[in-house]
Amino acid sequence: MKVILVCFGLILSYLPVAHAGPPVIEIEIRDHLFYPDTVPIPADTKVKLLVKNLDPTAEEFESYELNREKVIAGNSEAIIFIGPLPAGEYPFFGEFFPKTAQGKVVVE
Amino acid sequence: MLLNAVIIILREVLEAALIISVFLALSQLLNRNLWWMLVALVLGFGGAYVYAVNLGQVSMMAGGTGQEIVNACLHSLIFLCLLLFMISVPHQQHVSWRLLNLVTIILAVITAIVREGSEIILYINGFIGIPDLLSPVLMGGAVGAGIGLSVGVFFYYLLVNMRRSHGIWLGYLILLLIGGSMVAQAVEFMIQADYISATTPIWDSSHWISERSAVGQLLYALVGYEATPAPQQAAAYFISIGVLIAAAVISYTIRGRTP
Repeated sequence: MKVILVCFGLILSYLPVAHAGPPVIEIEIRDHLFYPDTVPIPADTKVKLLVKNLDPTAEEFESYELNREKVIAGNSEAIIFIGPLPAGEYPFFGEFFPKTAQGKVVVE
Repeated sequence: MLLNAVIIILREVLEAALIISVFLALSQLLNRNLWWMLVALVLGFGGAYVYAVNLGQVSMMAGGTGQEIVNACLHSLIFLCLLLFMISVPHQQHVSWRLLNLVTIILAVITAIVREGSEIILYINGFIGIPDLLSPVLMGGAVGAGIGLSVGVFFYYLLVNMRRSHGIWLGYLILLLIGGSMVAQAVEFMIQADYISATTPIWDSSHWISERSAVGQLLYALVGYEATPAPQQAAAYFISIGVLIAAAVISYTIRGRTP
């Protein structure tokens, strides 16, 4: 019985790992700026960006280097998958307010 | 702000204007009247408004990938319309084919306006509460829309004023490129939403023609240029163009055989 329980416990302890999915990285948009504006991610790893737009205005997360574009309505959030990527710098910007909304993903 | 508004609106208008102008020209060359355009414009802008207003909710559907799914569907729908258009053109003597042909044109134009128009509405909506910025944004937007529409008008007159057979061929060629670009963009959205696994780009031509440059932007609108496409995107692009060509050729051949 004990052995079964231990086995069951072991299996349970592994389950969350199997279901964790890619790591989540949060980025906030406030006053048309990205926080943080430099996003370090590990090389060759898929990452889930959770971009929270705290401004009342819509913004478009865009990156030519990452091949990503997604409109984020005001006061809402969006999920964008990136990677796996080789090491390097990948700039992104807010298309609607590009003068201020600038950032980059740094893969290391 | 003004210059930025010009660029954003231009980018969105250019893609839709190209699809609309080519269909307008082909309709003209195939001796169709053009009343459908009005219907498509009204329905398109109505649809764009509905999509823009609900974009926040749509985005959070399907585990936060609702927007990618809808956009991929819109792009695929345009491709499907192009495919059915090409198949139905050779059979214009039959009423049902003629009707199908008209439906594909209207649906493609509506879908293109919904896709591009919704982003324009969201962008401009953001400035409504900021009077200082609203007028330069509207002014810039008007300039951008003007340039985009001018390119559309240019293509329309280019096609209509060529020799009829040349105009039809060039119109077909542009539709092929638009078709490839649509499917490639749909695949890109599926990668972004993680329904298709991302792999390293098949090539990197960003040193020759950057997607940021004016040439890169124009090429993106005209032929769906990507500096660093995923292999699946490139494959989707060329396969869908191949499918369109095959469908058009088969349809013409069948018409040739039936008395």
